[in-house]
Amino acid sequence: MNFVLNLSFSDLLLLLPEIFLTCWLCVVITVDFVSPRLPKERLAYLSVGGLLATLGCLAWFDVNQVSGTLFGNMFVLDRMAIFFKIFILGSTVLVILASIEYVDRFTLFRGEYYALVVMSALGMMFMASANDLLSVFVSLEFSTLGFYILVSYLRDDLASNEAGLKFFILGVFAAGLFAYGISLVYGETGKLVFSDMASAPATPGLIIGFLLIFAALGFKIGAVPFHSWIPDTYHGAPTPVTAFLSIAPKGAALAILLRIFIVALGTFKPTWIYLLVAVSIVSMTYGNIVAIAQRNIKRLLAYSGIAQIGNVLIGLAAGTKMGNDAILFYLLAYLFANIGAFAVVIAVSQAIGRDEIEDYRGLGRRSPFLAFSMLLFLLSLAGVPPLAGFIGKLYIFIAAIKEGLYTLITVGLINIVISMYYYLIVVKQMYINEPIDPSPISIRGPMKAVIYVGLAGTLVIGIYPQPFTDWVVAATLMFANFVTPAATITPPTVLIGS
Amino acid sequence: MGEYALLYILFAPFAGALALIFVSNRQPTLVRGIAASAAFVSLVASLYIFYGYDTVQGGFQFVQKFAWSKELGIALYLGVDGIGTPLVLASSILLFAGIFVSWHIKDRAKEFYIWLLILAAATIGVFMSLDLFFLYFFYEMSVIPMYLLLGMWGSHTKKYLEMTDPEGLKQRDSIGFIFNFGSNSKEYAAMKLVLFLSAFAVAALMGILLIYKFSGLNTFDILVLREQANLMNIPVLGTTLDKIIWILVFFGFASIAPIWPLHSWSPVGHAAAPAATSMLHAGVLMKLGHFSIIRVAFEILPETTRELMPIAAVLCMFSIIYGGFVAFYAKDTKYVIGYSSSSHMGYVFLGMAALNYISLSGAVIYMFAHAMATGMLFAMAGWVYDQTHTRDIPSLGGLSNKMPFISGCFIVGCMASIGMPGTVNFVAEIMIVVGSWNKYPLQVIVAMLGIVLTLAYLFKMMRGLFYGPMNQKYSHAHDAVGTVDRLPLLMMITISIGFGIFPMHLYEVVRSGVDPLIARITHVVPVAESDEGSRSVKAAAEITQPPAIPMVSNKPIAQVSEASRGGQE
Repeated sequence: MNFVLNLSFSDLLLLLPEIFLTCWLCVVITVDFVSPRLPKERLAYLSVGGLLATLGCLAWFDVNQVSGTLFGNMFVLDRMAIFFKIFILGSTVLVILASIEYVDRFTLFRGEYYALVVMSALGMMFMASANDLLSVFVSLEFSTLGFYILVSYLRDDLASNEAGLKFFILGVFAAGLFAYGISLVYGETGKLVFSDMASAPATPGLIIGFLLIFAALGFKIGAVPFHSWIPDTYHGAPTPVTAFLSIAPKGAALAILLRIFIVALGTFKPTWIYLLVAVSIVSMTYGNIVAIAQRNIKRLLAYSGIAQIGNVLIGLAAGTKMGNDAILFYLLAYLFANIGAFAVVIAVSQAIGRDEIEDYRGLGRRSPFLAFSMLLFLLSLAGVPPLAGFIGKLYIFIAAIKEGLYTLITVGLINIVISMYYYLIVVKQMYINEPIDPSPISIRGPMKAVIYVGLAGTLVIGIYPQPFTDWVVAATLMFANFVTPAATITPPTVLIGS
Repeated sequence: MGEYALLYILFAPFAGALALIFVSNRQPTLVRGIAASAAFVSLVASLYIFYGYDTVQGGFQFVQKFAWSKELGIALYLGVDGIGTPLVLASSILLFAGIFVSWHIKDRAKEFYIWLLILAAATIGVFMSLDLFFLYFFYEMSVIPMYLLLGMWGSHTKKYLEMTDPEGLKQRDSIGFIFNFGSNSKEYAAMKLVLFLSAFAVAALMGILLIYKFSGLNTFDILVLREQANLMNIPVLGTTLDKIIWILVFFGFASIAPIWPLHSWSPVGHAAAPAATSMLHAGVLMKLGHFSIIRVAFEILPETTRELMPIAAVLCMFSIIYGGFVAFYAKDTKYVIGYSSSSHMGYVFLGMAALNYISLSGAVIYMFAHAMATGMLFAMAGWVYDQTHTRDIPSLGGLSNKMPFISGCFIVGCMASIGMPGTVNFVAEIMIVVGSWNKYPLQVIVAMLGIVLTLAYLFKMMRGLFYGPMNQKYSHAHDAVGTVDRLPLLMMITISIGFGIFPMHLYEVVRSGVDPLIARITHVVPVAESDEGSRSVKAAAEITQPPAIPMVSNKPIAQVSEASRGGQE
């Protein structure tokens, strides 16, 4: 492999969003450094402005179907990468808006907080475009670096420190696994770019290598059995960081998983399907059952996130183009519901100071708006019509049943019922129980905006999904060459297994 | 405007709920006004489709179709046939009545009406869906409002630890107690209802997904599926696929009906719910089960239905007898009516199981009739509860002095529930009994016994509430005097008696929906028309069991094939 770096101007255009955001990141840091007396809120809006400009640029790319590869296939800009970049930037904007109030809790480095959030987003944008094991590794660590700091940002809070340490140790361990996996894969195939590996023979070294890579990415998305950091980290981290952590890295890691499983390993589908089926079943069931026992809303959402990832993996296990579409669609539904739910959690904890589920007693009386929003977000996560989560779940189930994954669908359906229980426990606290302290809860503008965006997304995707399905279908078009065609209708000899 | 009638019926309550979000609770008149006018629009449009339905043409009418998702093959496809029409009418009548019944609600009235409207709209949505996806969509959507309605405005069973449970045992002695801790509280009832119904709903969803996959048509359209889906004779797990799908769909939807072993959520839910919710719940929500079975299992899997429907014939006996006896021993007004409802739903299953023109028409008319009768009873039980704040029958009594109007209406409600001649329930019951006699004589005898039981427990409850010595604690109770309070009861009584005396239009509407369905299930042989190369169905000339019972049917049999052909188009 020889890297000849001759970049033309049109090549640089593909990198424009990243270049622009890097410059903007420097601007944010410089502004904070130069004028320390500036209200930190301004920095938040400054960052949001840069992110929105980048979003606009990406939207322009998407409409004009700009695509191409750079650096010897290490960096690819296709419509799926654009989808994930928009997903990541959108969640970053919402997270920054939701954290404006919360940032007052930090004793030091309030300005750098925004810079770090943007930096992580930048790393994840590279993840969405990574088309090569090395660029995956570099971008993954780049984005995680920001998160290590962000998680432990409440420096006087023991829980936050513990969360940061736990995240760091396990994260570094996962990075080690990843690097080892890369070395094995490279040693076996001599290739690093995903699309070059498609024809490699399955040797033990290659299989172990990919298992290690899957473990590292499973750590990022929080699938069982790589989930052990999730509850404590989510619990201890500052709530906006938890919200960020629960959405954006999962999206970025799923982009990589999609590329690995569909592009690099598409021919080995009969082998890896068992791995994904097992991980998916265990994630859904474990996440949902353990969530029942939670007393803290952040831990509840952490376990529910593990279960949601199990659902997403159903779509990956289907391995068809429709499965990929369903994953992208599901992520959109998950983005709005989850960011909304965390925004409500932040708003409530600003007023009450705690995140226990029992603190939500009588929220329906104290703040009808917050309670109603939380109700819709939780029901969307549970998958109740007419909300986005229902269509997302159904999309995934339809994709999976076309591939005959009956066991997986049965487990998924049962898990919908289990999850309904713990979401409704929160609803019960909010609406049925009477408040101890009936004073109303007020919400500030940016937070309200985030919740409105969440509500709009949850309802619009649920009631009129056509534009969104069109978008995700277009986003995965380039996979059409790699995925096996949808199974023809054959009589099933057995309903169990795939 | 006529062709958009279904959209008005379905979206008026949604629009009302949406408008209510922007109204403050401090304007109670405006809140009630919006809710009532939304329900009124729905009611008028329902009456329009009920009387505008062309019974000669039959089939699905007022059809509306909007593409919704091309990738998934989903369309918002609405239409009513003779089976859906009366149920849509019943839903909007009960919604309209329910809004007046809950007129005096004080606590968070706005939210109450929002959820009530959404509940009713979702129910109506099921009755007019011609797309399996939307059928499930609305079905599942009707479950969540129940949770909030029960939890926020429901009532605990008083002194539930001392009270006897429905089986007549002390709570602590009953076997169920260890599973029932905290039962009789409204939270328990609400959670049980949601989890129970969702658990079975996902079973039905699995059935729907299997239909979707194995039909291979990439569509959820019921009309396409029933013509083209070939799900028969696919071996699976030692049986055939169609049986598995049928069982999933039948028990998935029968749980809300509720058929006997799956009924336990229902009386608890009835008891905890506020009056208007109980009315909608018992009146129409339970019929979602029968209706969805007819729409999905009967339409798409007619052969399997004929083979497996005896399951329902067996279970319905237990429903009737078990519900009747428990209602007889229950000491809580709403438990009595709740168990009576689940007992009466056994008649509908009997009518469906017999699978002939008369009995199935009877079953559909019974759903309509029962909605009116049980709506009245729940409205009055709710009134008594509002006045006395107790549902415990032994502690009540002699209320007829205080509320002569209510006690008078209660007699009518009981009569309707029993099926006295002159009420529409009589028409329905006689059709079920006559229609099922040839096939299921034992079940018919059980059903007769059930009618006697109904008489016993309703009269027992009537005596316990309205006659005998009065408890002075309740001397402040007063009658329904205002127009607003009397209107819903009078409306339901009028409809019940009106259709009892003039049942012909209702009968013809129902018959036009039932005929093609039964023709498909029982007397239809597929005839291959080689020149067209398509598979079409034709009603066979010979009808083995002459369904014409002159007493109730004055419609010539020759119309059967005509109507069935109309329905196929």
